[in-house]
Amino acid sequence: MDETTPVDMKTGEFADGVTFHGRWQEFLPIALTNLLLIIVTLGIYRFWAKTRERKYLWSRTQFIDERLEWAGTGKEMFIGFLIVMAIFVPILLFFQFGLQALILRGQGVLASVLAIGLYLALFYLAGLALFRALRYRLSRTYWHGIRGGSDDGGWSYAGSAMLKYIIGFVTLGFLVPWAMVKLWRERWGKMSFGPYAFEPGDGPAVQGLIGRYLLIYATPVLWAILVFALGMGTIFTAGSNPDPRVMAGMMGTFFLAVIGFYALFSLVSLAYYAVFMRKVVGEMTLGNLSFAFNARTMDWVKLILGNIALVVLTLGFGIMYLGYRHWSFYVRHLEVQGEVDLAALTQSTTRIRSDAEGLADAFDIGAI
Amino acid sequence: MTNAWLYDGESALRRSVRLGARDGMLEIAGEDGETRVAPADLVFIESRTEERVYGRKDVLGWRLGVPEPVADEIAALLPNAAHYGGWIDRIGLWRASAIGLAVSAAVLFAVYQLPHWLAPLVPDRVMKSYGDAMVGDFGGKFCAGPGGQAALDALTRRLAPDVKGLNVRVVDLPVVNAAALPGGNIVIFNELLKEAKSPEEFSGVLAHEIAHIEHRDVAEAMVRELGLGLVLTTLGGDVAGNVHGLLSLSYSRGAEGAADAESIAMMNRARISPAPTAGFFERLAKSEDMIGGADMLVYLSSHPVSKGRAAAFRKGAAKGAAYTPALSRDEWDALVDICHNDPDRQD
Repeated sequence: MDETTPVDMKTGEFADGVTFHGRWQEFLPIALTNLLLIIVTLGIYRFWAKTRERKYLWSRTQFIDERLEWAGTGKEMFIGFLIVMAIFVPILLFFQFGLQALILRGQGVLASVLAIGLYLALFYLAGLALFRALRYRLSRTYWHGIRGGSDDGGWSYAGSAMLKYIIGFVTLGFLVPWAMVKLWRERWGKMSFGPYAFEPGDGPAVQGLIGRYLLIYATPVLWAILVFALGMGTIFTAGSNPDPRVMAGMMGTFFLAVIGFYALFSLVSLAYYAVFMRKVVGEMTLGNLSFAFNARTMDWVKLILGNIALVVLTLGFGIMYLGYRHWSFYVRHLEVQGEVDLAALTQSTTRIRSDAEGLADAFDIGAI
Repeated sequence: MTNAWLYDGESALRRSVRLGARDGMLEIAGEDGETRVAPADLVFIESRTEERVYGRKDVLGWRLGVPEPVADEIAALLPNAAHYGGWIDRIGLWRASAIGLAVSAAVLFAVYQLPHWLAPLVPDRVMKSYGDAMVGDFGGKFCAGPGGQAALDALTRRLAPDVKGLNVRVVDLPVVNAAALPGGNIVIFNELLKEAKSPEEFSGVLAHEIAHIEHRDVAEAMVRELGLGLVLTTLGGDVAGNVHGLLSLSYSRGAEGAADAESIAMMNRARISPAPTAGFFERLAKSEDMIGGADMLVYLSSHPVSKGRAAAFRKGAAKGAAYTPALSRDEWDALVDICHNDPDRQD
């Protein structure tokens, strides 16, 4: 076979462009050796462990006709972490010691101004971290030898995020869905893959979201109805009965009712989040590709309950599988339609930066 | 010739190429001619089913897919597979784990030992300011009954003639305890004097606290409890916020043992018998079992009592040594009553 085979110029039309081929048995050696190395290095291997996990997950994710590839390194994540520590440790030290020293010296006003300023700075850095985590992931994700990225530093995004969440807060949370959608669009609108920019959609921001969001406010009412419907009303009336068995039963039902409140609150919040994700992902396009996300509330509930069961039943080892579960969840529920002109998909010209995910790591937030 | 595929990192098109080896270089022949790549520029990317993928250090996104099995002459030019990253691949997972374990154990040991190593570095000035702040906290509670302080100072000098700057005071608080504070300060709580049956019993406790100061155990415990806070004080911070809680400084078991040994030696040098102190510890050990012995337990909580301690003091007494009383009858009475007879005592 001496002749070069003809080149496919287009991927053609397809219905469901993303498939996850991972198997948990295949991931087990990675999880076990990652855990071992994390333990014997007192946690420092964490960054290399994350890299190995992503290399596996990306390589088992088929996008149209080719697998993804994760090209990030543990070293750059570690360096990112060190940089963030250099920013954070002084701030934390100030909160630990400096604040107290200032108050003891009678500089109460100065201390509170500085404290508020630093809290706002942390808030700003959280927004910056989310933006940069996304930018880092795109810039290290290769498909057909092409990567994504962004030339934006996220500075204005972080300011906008701070402002929008403050607006959401002062309106008693009513504008939080608006802030979430706007910020999703701002974030993704500055990202690109190859020569194409992500188009995050520009329809009415909260259309289709408000109903479920208001349900969160209605949680206490729903809970009260549930409590009475299940006959837990005793907890409100049996207070005067000193019989220990009644008291014990009352404590039991009270406990159940508290658990019930959290369960209900989580369920309603997940219901909102499910519709939020379907909306924002569904509005996105990239070149001739359009995206959809089809996870329903029950899918999210199963994911969360599955996570809890896995971690509890494996006495904690299951934590090593959470990244796997989340990635496969997103991939399985992501749909892509359209076609890619491979000849036109040229390399990204965005700058490769090495700030990794240190910031996001420090804040413990994911990229999406 | 080996067939392979190539992404050039410029466009997403997958090109078919043929590989060859020439002059120690990897030759890649495609539609647009031939390129040669030095083996040193190649990096391993991943293994897939029936193929291996390589990249180039100098071209981002450049990917070469080589189907398996790879001809020997080509394989010789390609880098080895990487699994765990960097040096772990070079030395092997198990050896790396063993090295990691050893280094981690050393680091943890160093962190544990750090207070011991750093204690001599804490400036006396800092110790002094902590000591003064803590002594100041007791305010008017110091006792000054006639003759009591003189007896205490005399005993202190006798036990430790070479230790300079000791400041031993009795505080009128109903707890059975004694504490070495920073800056050569020792406080004896009044109730301890009442529990002690003789000046010899008390001497053992006093000598123990002096030994802590001599060994710089106080500085070590402060480094452990305050950590970074102490460093900040050294750099000119405020002690006030740190003082709280220092009264319950605890020492390592090793430091306690060393202080006991030094205390016994001190008493022998001063020709005071260490044996009676054993009786004091034995009474403490008994009260360990008593629920009502809460006052005695205060001493136990900061000074772990074991049967071995009492035995050490008993054995510490040299046979046939010419021991003399620690204090005269009158001096001991004056010391025990130091708070009761205090003319300035604020009730």
